[in-house]
Amino acid sequence: MLKLIGNRLLQMVLIMAVVSLVIFAIFDSDKFKRQIAVAELGGFAVSALSDQDYEAWLDRKGLNVPFYERYLKWVGGVMTGDLGRSFEKNEPVTRLLGDRLVNTGILAFWVFALMVPLSLTLGIIAGMREGAFRDRAVSFIAVLTTSLPEIATAIVLTVIFALGLQWVPANSAMINGWDWRQLVLPVMTLVLYDFGYVTRMTRASMAEVMTSQYIRTAVLKGLPHRRVILRHALRNALIAPFTIIALQLNWILSGVVVVEVFFQYAGFGKLLLDAALFGDVYVIQAATLVAVFVAVISQIISDVGYTFLNPRIRFS
Amino acid sequence: MASRKPRDSDHPKVHEAFRLMKSGRMDRREFIRVAALLGTSATAAYALAGLPEPAYAAGTLPFPADDPKAKSGGILKIAQPVQKMEDPATYSWVEMSNQTRHTVEYLVMTGPDNVTRPMLAESWTAAEDLKTWTFNLRKGVVWHNGEEFTADHVRWNIERWLDPKTASSNVGLSVFSAMVEETPEKDAKGKPIKRLSKSAIEVVDKNTIRFHLSKPVLSAPEDCYNYPTAIVHPSFKAPLSDNMIGTGPFQLAEFRVGDRCILKRVTKLKDGKDFNYWGGKVYLDEIHYYNFEADNQLSAFASGDVDGVYSFSVEQMDLAKSLPGVIHIARTAQTVACRMQVDQKPFTDKRVRQAVCKSVDNEAVKKLVYSDGGDSGQNHHVAPVHPDFAALPPLKRDVAAAKQLLKEAGFENGIELTIDVGNTDGPWHQTVAEAMRDQMKEAGITLKINVMPAAKFWEIWDKTLFGVTAWTHRPLGTMAMSLAYRTGVPWNETHYANPEFDKALDAAEATLDVEERKPKLMKAAKILQDDAVMIMPLFRPIYTIVTKNVQGYEGHPTQYHQFNKVWKA
Repeated sequence: MLKLIGNRLLQMVLIMAVVSLVIFAIFDSDKFKRQIAVAELGGFAVSALSDQDYEAWLDRKGLNVPFYERYLKWVGGVMTGDLGRSFEKNEPVTRLLGDRLVNTGILAFWVFALMVPLSLTLGIIAGMREGAFRDRAVSFIAVLTTSLPEIATAIVLTVIFALGLQWVPANSAMINGWDWRQLVLPVMTLVLYDFGYVTRMTRASMAEVMTSQYIRTAVLKGLPHRRVILRHALRNALIAPFTIIALQLNWILSGVVVVEVFFQYAGFGKLLLDAALFGDVYVIQAATLVAVFVAVISQIISDVGYTFLNPRIRFS
Repeated sequence: MASRKPRDSDHPKVHEAFRLMKSGRMDRREFIRVAALLGTSATAAYALAGLPEPAYAAGTLPFPADDPKAKSGGILKIAQPVQKMEDPATYSWVEMSNQTRHTVEYLVMTGPDNVTRPMLAESWTAAEDLKTWTFNLRKGVVWHNGEEFTADHVRWNIERWLDPKTASSNVGLSVFSAMVEETPEKDAKGKPIKRLSKSAIEVVDKNTIRFHLSKPVLSAPEDCYNYPTAIVHPSFKAPLSDNMIGTGPFQLAEFRVGDRCILKRVTKLKDGKDFNYWGGKVYLDEIHYYNFEADNQLSAFASGDVDGVYSFSVEQMDLAKSLPGVIHIARTAQTVACRMQVDQKPFTDKRVRQAVCKSVDNEAVKKLVYSDGGDSGQNHHVAPVHPDFAALPPLKRDVAAAKQLLKEAGFENGIELTIDVGNTDGPWHQTVAEAMRDQMKEAGITLKINVMPAAKFWEIWDKTLFGVTAWTHRPLGTMAMSLAYRTGVPWNETHYANPEFDKALDAAEATLDVEERKPKLMKAAKILQDDAVMIMPLFRPIYTIVTKNVQGYEGHPTQYHQFNKVWKA
């Protein structure tokens, strides 16, 4: 097990090295340097700069040194916890990233806290008796909510609950300090979007388990239905959803840009989008490293959990 | 009041304008604007015109009069993008200037009524030939570090704007373009480098500065309120947000790009002495800007997070009407130039450009995009809201003529064009492009629309062959024409160069009589229209909304925030 984790972590470091190198190389091009200049000084100002003055600006920003020097300097900084300085926000990337990760962490916590029990419960209820009314009802709702793009769900929820009923605020910018009410709509949007998928996976897994011979044996032995479900079916039925839930960690980190932008929630996804549009290379680099880290860690959690839940893998 | 006459000491052109007004050849509003530009106080100008001055302070202050019911204190919260504040001289967005407008101030201030009043300059006078302008600076103005504001500071700022290294757009403004001269030096592209003429700025004494211009300029004061002309302290080093020393009533207390910009009242100077603001009473304690992109500002308002928004779009009007607030609508010269670069193929051929223009019905595009409010354009940059506007014969869509022109240009099977759209001012840019695409199709022009993020578009706005560029409102018709289409000016995105046009524009800019100026400016406009450098389909209205307890707020056609006399009930 430790060897598996060690290998995965080693892979992670290699992936980080390659990805950071590629991104650095892309953003080292003249095109992206000019993009930073345009974003910082304005389109007019850059077009009016003479070549000499433009070079002087690059010098001032530390962008006029050879690629390998900049990269090595950046790697050295990363080793000491210095992720560079944001061109757009004019502040250290470490602080910026830290704030955004905390915000996204809070969002993720509530999404998982609601989505996991909801989708597991509904998935199990649906899968216990395939084809029954409750299976069809749950499947219909699950397919419906997952089919709707996040932006559509966000708009519908905003119109109903924020603009119509005025129960919750329409945005999540938290400009007057932390306010849990502002988290309601983004959490609801993400839960609605994601729970259907996990529910369907749980349902499929549960339905498959319910048709297996050991369940049939348990039923024929005369065990109470409740005991059959809780002691025999549930554990096996949860193996597949567990893997899927662990992988949702990655999605919630960088796949929720639409929701964060729509609700103006200052999270990691919005930071990444802003940085990409600005050409803010150090923020993009740092965000990418975090995304790779979370992707690999969620994979490790998934693998380790799978191993524990499935004895056939553990003992092999 | 109407029986009053200008004083002998008033500029001769004020006397001339007064005669024109009395003879009915100049309307009263235009007289007020002209008289104020030439150094007559706004109060006196309104009195000469026989009109009551609308709620503006008597004397030389540029702000509205104090409201006896006004309450001091409170925080005004506004939703707008919170942007980086590097260098006011290179600002490229009005939002940046709003964040600093109450800290670093301007020589003059143009109010929502389009009248320019003195600000850091207490008054000004112009020579009869409009080539020499003398600005008398306000005495008793102090910087936040306790230093006295002087004419040397103004000179330092102008010298910096006109230094090519600063790359300030101010060099394109008429008054400043008349201060520079070409040098034998050439830049990498072989263009002669322009530098400030040694005799252009004269510091008469510590409170008086005089501009000696190479050509007559009418709009010198108005140019001094263009948003990149904020006067900074000579100790300035970019970014401004790191050490913002100004003369205004507010100072920066907290700032995070993309998050918030918090301004608080200045009460003490840096040396601990009391700060007495030159501009009289200011009611608000704090002004807060919170970062909301254009699409989200109204939802922030609906949630009660903010007291007002920078603007909302036409698509959001129904939503805005359903909210409890006061909607302000300003008629403006804000527009989009769907412009072609005349030195790039296929637009080097005037017939191709003319075919493009003839294939589009501007009025139809305007109705489609802004069914309420706004004005249709005539493919030149003078708007009906400008005092020096006169309508040219209506443009008519002529598909047959467009086809014929394309045929003559060698495109008898039609032509395929791509237009870059950045929606920098909202999605209506794309709607304009789509409407044009549908109309051009009939003339054999296949228009592909390349939509890109606003930040990306800003990178190529002056480089793209064919693009939709947003232009903000400017008070006079001459101003945008001079900034964007004069030969060789930095914002000349079309690369248009026509000495005949430049000459016509020079003549318009040197003419005080608005009735006389109109035909001169429209001559330049006609030249531009005939040369078919762009489709300018409409001039849009702008919408803002504030809560009912926000008093003293007025929508400004350039979306400039002037909150000195705003208060909260």
